[in-house]
Amino acid sequence: MKAFKLDKKPKINSGFKVPDAYFENLESSILQKISTKETPVFTLFTKRNWLLATAAVFVIALSIPLVNQMTTSTSTVDEVQLENYLCEQSNLSEDDIVELLDEEKIEKIKLDLNVDSNELEDALLTNSNLEDDIIN
Amino acid sequence: MDEQDFIQNLLDPKTQNTAFQQLLKEYQRPLYSLIRNIVLNHDDADDVLQNTFVKVFQNLKNFKGESKLFSWMYRIATNEAITFINKKAKRNGITSEALQSKIVDNLKADDYFDGDLIQIKLQKAIALLPQKQQLVFKMRYFDEIKYEDMSEILGTSVGALKASYHHAVKKIEIYMTSN
Repeated sequence: MKAFKLDKKPKINSGFKVPDAYFENLESSILQKISTKETPVFTLFTKRNWLLATAAVFVIALSIPLVNQMTTSTSTVDEVQLENYLCEQSNLSEDDIVELLDEEKIEKIKLDLNVDSNELEDALLTNSNLEDDIIN
Repeated sequence: MDEQDFIQNLLDPKTQNTAFQQLLKEYQRPLYSLIRNIVLNHDDADDVLQNTFVKVFQNLKNFKGESKLFSWMYRIATNEAITFINKKAKRNGITSEALQSKIVDNLKADDYFDGDLIQIKLQKAIALLPQKQQLVFKMRYFDEIKYEDMSEILGTSVGALKASYHHAVKKIEIYMTSN
């Protein structure tokens, strides 16, 4: 058999074809790809981010006792301030207040009302709604 | 226009679009041919070529001008094509050379291949070579890239490239004679 010699033969081309009009349309599809890729998207889960996240967790965990110490030392609020705060800002509901009251506290806030029986009768006579309330 | 001026035009937002279109016109065919010879199939070559141009565009600002613009682009195209082939082979659980042989076996059915028997035989012979020898052979024989330019593209010495090409030619000739 005759030995095959590449350089003695006419050049063999690759035989690959390109679809019609491929290069005419290529430019627009590349330009489109570029315009959509111009705002780079950063992935959250890179090795570096994992490392940073782990470091952050450690820092936070280690600082918890410190923060605790700091907050307990500053937690003496004087009574007047607290009361003012509760008056102005509190969103305590009636239920919350009932929860907090015990017998002793209720006794303390009982008012000593001396209601004259005649006055009471007058009031009841002039205000029929009150009577309904009492009956109910 | 001087290459440095052209690169400046590519970087300047005002002239960028026109310059990039010019770059596309000039390089789309030779880069397509280079990539197609490596990946063999048209659809894959199309994907790789588009990604190559996107990468070129995105990395232009980092182009230092240490090498010629064309060899920098050829380097990106070659790397993209080789990475593509290796990934595809890995997905199929075979070596890249085995993948090449498989694609060559199906070339006859490829709509965009009109080679005759000798062309298929040559592709079969190339597919049996180690990856680097395949690359050097294709770049020299089909794309006719000069050794000096190839050296800049692949980062390999001219001597080593010549040796690779020589080995490739010998193996191909043996295959073509015995089959």
